[in-house]
Amino acid sequence: MTKYIAKRLIMSLLTLFAIIFVLFILIRIMPGNPFPVERMSAEMILQKRLELGLDKPILVQFADYMSMLMGGSFGNGTSLYNGAPIKPIMLKCLENSFKIGVLSILFGTLVGLIIGITAALHRGKFLDGLCTIVSILGVCIPSYVFMIFLQYFFSYKIPLFPYFFDPSRFLSSAVMPAMSLSLFAISTVARFTRNEMVEVMNSDYVKLAEAKGLYGLQLIRRHVLRNALIPIVTVIAPLVVDLLTGAMVIEKIYGINGVGKLMVDAIAGQGVDYNYVLALGIVFSALYIGIMLVLDILYGIIDPRIRLAAKDG
Amino acid sequence: MGKIYTPQDGDFEFISGRDMNVDTNFASQGYWKGVAIHFFRNKFAVTGLILVSAIMILAICAPLVSSYSYQEIISITGDNGKEIVAKSLPPQFAGDNPNLFADKTFVFGTDDMGRDLWTRTWQGARVSLVIAFVAIFIDMLIGTSYGLISGFYGGNVDNVMQRLIEIAGSIPTLVIISVLAIFMDKGIGLVIASLLITEWIGMSKIARAECLKLKEREYVLASRTLGAGNFHIIFKQILPNTIGPIITQVMFSIPVAIFTEAFLSFVGVGIVLPQCSIGSLIEAGFNNITILPYQILPPICVLAILMLGFNLIGDGLREALAPKLEDM
Amino acid sequence: MKKIFAMALMILTALMTGCGGEESAGNGRLSVMLQSNIVSLDSAQATDSASFEVIADCIDGLMQLDADGKAIPALAQNYDVSEDGKTYTFHLREAKWANGDEVTAEDFIFAWRRHCVESSKYAYIMGSTVACIKNADAVIRKEIDAENLGVYAIDSKTLVVELDAPVSFFPSLMCFPAFYPINENFYNSLEKNTYGTSPETFLSNGAFKLADYVPGAANIQLVRNDSYWDAARVELSNLQYQVVSSSDNALTAFKNKTLNLAVINGNQVVNVKNDAELSKNLQTIPTGLLNYLSFNQDYKNNHGGALANANLRLAISNAIDRESLVDNYVMNGSQATYTAIPLRFAPNAKTGEYFAADQKQFSDVVSFDVEKARGFLEKAKSELGLENFSLELIYANDSGDTVVKVAQAIKSQVEENLPGVTLNLQPMPKAEYLDRVTTNSYDIAITNWAPDYDDPMTFFTLWTTEGSEIAEHWSNADYDKIISDCTTGDLAAQYDERWSAMYDAERILLENAVIAPLYTNAIANLISSNVSGIEFHSVAIERAYKSAKVQ
Repeated sequence: MTKYIAKRLIMSLLTLFAIIFVLFILIRIMPGNPFPVERMSAEMILQKRLELGLDKPILVQFADYMSMLMGGSFGNGTSLYNGAPIKPIMLKCLENSFKIGVLSILFGTLVGLIIGITAALHRGKFLDGLCTIVSILGVCIPSYVFMIFLQYFFSYKIPLFPYFFDPSRFLSSAVMPAMSLSLFAISTVARFTRNEMVEVMNSDYVKLAEAKGLYGLQLIRRHVLRNALIPIVTVIAPLVVDLLTGAMVIEKIYGINGVGKLMVDAIAGQGVDYNYVLALGIVFSALYIGIMLVLDILYGIIDPRIRLAAKDG
Repeated sequence: MGKIYTPQDGDFEFISGRDMNVDTNFASQGYWKGVAIHFFRNKFAVTGLILVSAIMILAICAPLVSSYSYQEIISITGDNGKEIVAKSLPPQFAGDNPNLFADKTFVFGTDDMGRDLWTRTWQGARVSLVIAFVAIFIDMLIGTSYGLISGFYGGNVDNVMQRLIEIAGSIPTLVIISVLAIFMDKGIGLVIASLLITEWIGMSKIARAECLKLKEREYVLASRTLGAGNFHIIFKQILPNTIGPIITQVMFSIPVAIFTEAFLSFVGVGIVLPQCSIGSLIEAGFNNITILPYQILPPICVLAILMLGFNLIGDGLREALAPKLEDM
Repeated sequence: MKKIFAMALMILTALMTGCGGEESAGNGRLSVMLQSNIVSLDSAQATDSASFEVIADCIDGLMQLDADGKAIPALAQNYDVSEDGKTYTFHLREAKWANGDEVTAEDFIFAWRRHCVESSKYAYIMGSTVACIKNADAVIRKEIDAENLGVYAIDSKTLVVELDAPVSFFPSLMCFPAFYPINENFYNSLEKNTYGTSPETFLSNGAFKLADYVPGAANIQLVRNDSYWDAARVELSNLQYQVVSSSDNALTAFKNKTLNLAVINGNQVVNVKNDAELSKNLQTIPTGLLNYLSFNQDYKNNHGGALANANLRLAISNAIDRESLVDNYVMNGSQATYTAIPLRFAPNAKTGEYFAADQKQFSDVVSFDVEKARGFLEKAKSELGLENFSLELIYANDSGDTVVKVAQAIKSQVEENLPGVTLNLQPMPKAEYLDRVTTNSYDIAITNWAPDYDDPMTFFTLWTTEGSEIAEHWSNADYDKIISDCTTGDLAAQYDERWSAMYDAERILLENAVIAPLYTNAIANLISSNVSGIEFHSVAIERAYKSAKVQ
């Protein structure tokens, strides 16, 4: 197992390197200047490009960037926030998005699992239908529309939560965005849980277990859930990345200083801030790869057959 | 009747190649017919089919027969020579209306540009359905094959293929689309292209996970023992059994596709107005959601009905395709 | 399973205890809406009115705007002008930075030099098209050292500025944040590029101090600065900015009393006007922001350079129903404009009449007249030998839904009134938009421009051959001559002659339909009834809160 993990880790680092390279090239192809050109003369623009080293061959620029990364720095912005160092600003945004993301994952998975299990246990009955409709509605309403509803009812009509995000009252201001963000997770998790559970409950080994006299929660926990979990974990993993990397529209509506908004500002602001897009891209990728790594390892733990298969391979 | 059949030379021939195997013979006899029977016996599935067909028929016909075009701004010239636009009118039928457009029917009202929302909603449904179908269908083909192959072969093949996915999945959508926008004109084509690039990954993850689970099953082993080739096993033995989760994933991919498209218009790379889609209509209604709520209702309801319909069909198909579930 | 329930219960209780009621604004606490994030608190980097507003809250310049928009002394107690109008001597008053340092003439010199050296967006304002500070152009181009910039300190409280030409509006220019001081010692004590990125890295000498801010934050907190020289005037103890991007959300937040000052768009304005209570809070403030169409006249552009034909441009300009645009789509009190200079801006110093007061002045070339527009189109068709024109209309879509509606309305009007002309809308992010207008790859662009100082020249310099980055690719020797005469030439010192020469320039501009003016922006504000004393300006700093009160 350790050897397997080590091998995967090295592979992941190589992948990360490839991603940085691809991203680096793509960003330089993107339309838009890396700094705001409004009211700048041609010579001022040229001078700015020289300052940023954009006249060098692209591979040299990449080498420079990588050596800077190795030094533990993401560099300075090219157009956002006066070219201040990126790291502290990005960390602040990551912190906000992470906290809300974690809340919405917890909430979403929990509620999704409950709905999915309930539906599976009452397959074909009224409760099943109700759960299905609830989970379908969850994907139909865009999270930002739901957010506006929450704001309207739970902040304006009934003043329970702050109308805009307030970092000094984090928990109570995180409730509404976390809830709206979790809608999609609830739906996805509920649907997959139900379908997987139904399938597993119909399998021979569960029937055997039933025949042996196992029933109720014990049966579900020991046999059904465990086997139904693989595809569920598979759908949750990318959701986790999505939720952690911020939801631009919600962040905008609720005034959260998060990474989703930062990314859009970096791409669609006054200029394309090359270094912010790169830094965020790298963080997102690292997160994504990390989660995929954990996922692969989890597969091994949940289902020993996969571990064996991996060993053979 | 009464005639006795004499066997002839052409009645039998030798099996060519070793890949043939026996059990498909049984399955191929009326398999799809069986699926259809199962499907149509399911009340929910039929309801879903009706809902989706109704929306599709409206999406195809309503813009054709409507008296307004989806981009027509309805206006009259007022007494003082100024143009008065029929903007933000709540739903009304021709007759006694307390406004200057009393003789006009607007089933869903008009938007804040003075265009008929009924026509726009169905035009939008049309555009969104085209985008979602084309994008998701191709994604399904690519994603499923990719995932199955990756999961089945395992080892280094899997490793390399998964790393490629990680690279593709890690590039932020906005970056991909901005770069794509250099080579393509903005509009439906660009939206489909960007969905193609980003959405197949989820599909392949599901297919791979299913494949990992299924390839250790006894029937695969049996098939292999009987001499089945890899591709036969992947596409004939494993694929049919992954259809359930994949269909579920497809059903979820459709709203994702529709919303991704809406998000793209939000940052300025989606559908170009005055063309519209369900996503862009929701987006437009969202700007006035508390004061003109009737503008966002039609697109959201159409979307909800579509989703409900697709999911019911999906469930029906899943059960019809995998009859083993039914005897429970 | 039990664990899960326990956890759920824990979260629930945590939430319940964490919920506070709404915090009502009051007790000298003012909560104000911003429509977009501020770009920077560094006056050399800021490019947007939101940044300028916050900078001006915290830092005073030599001059400030009074309630009527006139320039009155701020940090300068008074100033002398030499006879030729080329030398200004400012006498600074006793004022302190928030860290206790004296505000000195050197602080201004440091800031101005730095501004030229950094050659950022607003560096041009020091140069020969605007302020005409001696040697500024050469310093910006890095030809000579910053020490040669025409600004000196006689002693720590006397600042002398030498100009290349007499600039009649120079004192009012001093209200613009680009000319504000920066404390040199404080700046040098900071890590590179971190000035103005947090309360610790920003030093104020003005009415408010920065209390809470991180770059990109949607919420900015300012508190009263007790060491401000005019502290007696400031009544607010707290000034809070909240970025709200949706107008609908702004309206609800205002009803919710989360905001004391909200900015709303057309649809919400209509809604508010129908509400007896809320309509009392509505206050429409005209601004100097002009929205117009830029036509790219370069022959190399995408569509064969058809727009180089003046008749085609005139046809489009005359086919647009500007009244319908503002009445039906913008709806926030913005006014249709038929001149190249916005309404209610740049009053004549002698008569007090706004420069663009006469909107009918150019009605022979800018109007809404379908017959005339079609006439121009026929001429264009025969001159170019073309029957159909397919043109691209680009706009940045980050500034809310108004521009999106305006673009669609223009498309609809032009296509209906000018058979054979098709406009293809191309919305795009701001970065791409700026790239396209500067690199000349567009046909028609919806552009807007806000005045930087209170003189029509802030607009006229846009369209000279050397003009701004939005390249209409139009060049007219007569026009260029008038403009250079008015900025650095003979006319600079002769007020009336200069004024009438500018009308001549405007006529050349509009007869050639270099641009098609659309409308002058207004801002529809909702202001709580217990708030008074907020000052609104059409130039440089849109809102000021030094005299604002909350009852």
